[in-house]
Amino acid sequence: MHREGAGGVVARPRNGASVKKAADLAYGVEEVPPPSVLWLAALQHVGVLALVMVFPLLIARAAGASPAIAAQILSAGMLAVGLATIAQARAYGPIGSGYLAPTGFQAVYLGPSLAAAQAGGLPLVFGMTIFSGLVEAALSRIWRPLRPYLPPELSGLVVLLTGLVTAAIGIRYLMAGHDGEPAPRPDWVAAGFTLAVMVGLNLWTKGMLRMFCALIGLVAGYLLAVWLGLGSAAELAAIGEMSLLAMPRFDHVAWSFDAAMTVPFAVAGVAAALNTSANVTIFQRLNDSEWVRPDLRSIGRGTLTDGLAASTSGALGSCGLSTLSASVGVIIATGVASRRIAYAIGAIVIVLAFLPKFTAVLVATPAAVVAGALIFIACFILIGGMQIITSRMLDARKSLVIGVSVAAALAVLMFPDAVTAAPSGLRPLLGSALVTGTVLAFGLNLLFRLGVRQKVSLSLDPAGDYPRAIEDFFTERGKSWGARPDIIRRAIFGVTQLTEAVIENCTPKGPLTIDASFDEFNLDVHVGYDGELLELPDSRPTEREVREDEDGARRLAGFMLRRNADRAQSSRTDGRVVIHFHFDH
Amino acid sequence: MEILVGQSEGVSTVEPRGRIDSITAKEFGDRVCALIRSGAKRVVIDLANIAYISSAGFRALLIAGKLAEETEGKLALCGVAGEVQRLFEISAFGTAFQIYPTREECIAKVQAG
Repeated sequence: MHREGAGGVVARPRNGASVKKAADLAYGVEEVPPPSVLWLAALQHVGVLALVMVFPLLIARAAGASPAIAAQILSAGMLAVGLATIAQARAYGPIGSGYLAPTGFQAVYLGPSLAAAQAGGLPLVFGMTIFSGLVEAALSRIWRPLRPYLPPELSGLVVLLTGLVTAAIGIRYLMAGHDGEPAPRPDWVAAGFTLAVMVGLNLWTKGMLRMFCALIGLVAGYLLAVWLGLGSAAELAAIGEMSLLAMPRFDHVAWSFDAAMTVPFAVAGVAAALNTSANVTIFQRLNDSEWVRPDLRSIGRGTLTDGLAASTSGALGSCGLSTLSASVGVIIATGVASRRIAYAIGAIVIVLAFLPKFTAVLVATPAAVVAGALIFIACFILIGGMQIITSRMLDARKSLVIGVSVAAALAVLMFPDAVTAAPSGLRPLLGSALVTGTVLAFGLNLLFRLGVRQKVSLSLDPAGDYPRAIEDFFTERGKSWGARPDIIRRAIFGVTQLTEAVIENCTPKGPLTIDASFDEFNLDVHVGYDGELLELPDSRPTEREVREDEDGARRLAGFMLRRNADRAQSSRTDGRVVIHFHFDH
Repeated sequence: MEILVGQSEGVSTVEPRGRIDSITAKEFGDRVCALIRSGAKRVVIDLANIAYISSAGFRALLIAGKLAEETEGKLALCGVAGEVQRLFEISAFGTAFQIYPTREECIAKVQAG
């Protein structure tokens, strides 16, 4: 799978495989940026983390907690964020994906946590967050057998919905942030300015300015917003009142459990697992220009760490965490993916947990600036999700799974009040666009799998238009399986070239039979015919042999067929020849 | 399969379109060899519009390349991309031919000799 090539940077990630860094990365996972780049990149990610600090603040507000308790929740959460970000990069034993995968408060937990805060206060939020993290951790142990039920397009959907929700939160700040009324002009100016700085630096500059476009945009937007008189006066005043250094306090911590909340929090755990699976997949692809399939070991370690991070956060008295698609957006936009940055982020965030004054500065980021930044980041998350979805062949069933789920999530985003009219049993599933979309996609995927045959056969008439028959057969099956298009192309070539060689050289009697079976990891194709055995030599015939020998073209065909598949074998049983091609998927 | 034959700056160009398989390879090989035998010393084969090439197609290309060599001519390929490029890789005959990314570059290299 991984080949070393001329040019580019060859890195060796912690799973031991040699990989070639993608050309548009300034610093790959194994590279060590200079200290200035390292610390500024870390600060930029801390800026992104600051954006999602709005989630625990919203949850604290829903539980009726005081500002002091909200600050304690934040400090506890930052300790968990710092530890999780370091653990993700470290990759030790079963822990850590091995990538720069910044962790933070996650939108997938927002809906269930708000419902729990209203139903049972903060103890229920913390207790159910522990449960949710354990669900995700348990899933990580059985990720491989679950993969057919959680295909890549579902991971892509979760990322896409995260992008939609991120953008929607940003837009909501501007459209309904002031008692349901659109924000006044200074808010739009600050949001537009923040977004314009980020976009301008990202598109039309290079080097440091491009790398730190999000951080520069945040700082510039913050300064303009303060100058325009935006921001919460109480929050800005609190900055001055906070002490510079203080130990995090945990006297708010208590846990409770409610069986009625298990479904939405279990769904949040599944969504977090899909989110992290998708994010780690993006990191793998980003750091390896020759990436072809997800490395499930790295995904499993990342998902286990992600679940444990959420449980740790709940245990410390804070809210649900997961790897941040927003940070993935920043990494893609800036091309800085060095693992060392994770350690710097972890160090900064843990130190900030002891510095209430700086935390207060982050918390006081004016809503309009947060809105501009969220919209910028959402662009990259949305496209990342689309790319994962379209990396597979999609038939009408899979298109409907994605389309209906996105439509349902949009309905929840657009008409959140309509949830109150739903039956009480369904309300926990309809409180969050992400949960609604994920659950619906999971259910539809299971339903639509019915009737999709994993083993299919074709009888091929050598005198007919067999190239078209082979292409149509594999293309249609590939779409219903959700297979990778490159694997299906290889299967089409293999069977077409084989049929051609058999007709030319092996005097087949009667039709050829093709049996293909597929699961998420394997495509196996057996071609049977009555006739002479076609050999699949390991060594290539010479140019002269191909040109002049009677069997030169046949031997070249056998050689190409062997190299086209990951494994190829020819055998004769009871007078019938069977050629077996195996393709890793 | 359709085969377009033309002239560009003193270089003969051959552009097959469709599939080069056991059915069409002979026609394709015969056209290129006939061109060389008729005196064409510089030949560019543009494979940009080929969707599939089998072992029979590679054999036709090797025969044409040998004939060009024997008549002290030049034969080069261009437009080898995507699936066709992968097939060149698995045939392990990629280095048997001079291959250039674009037709313009290929013509310029063949002209330069």
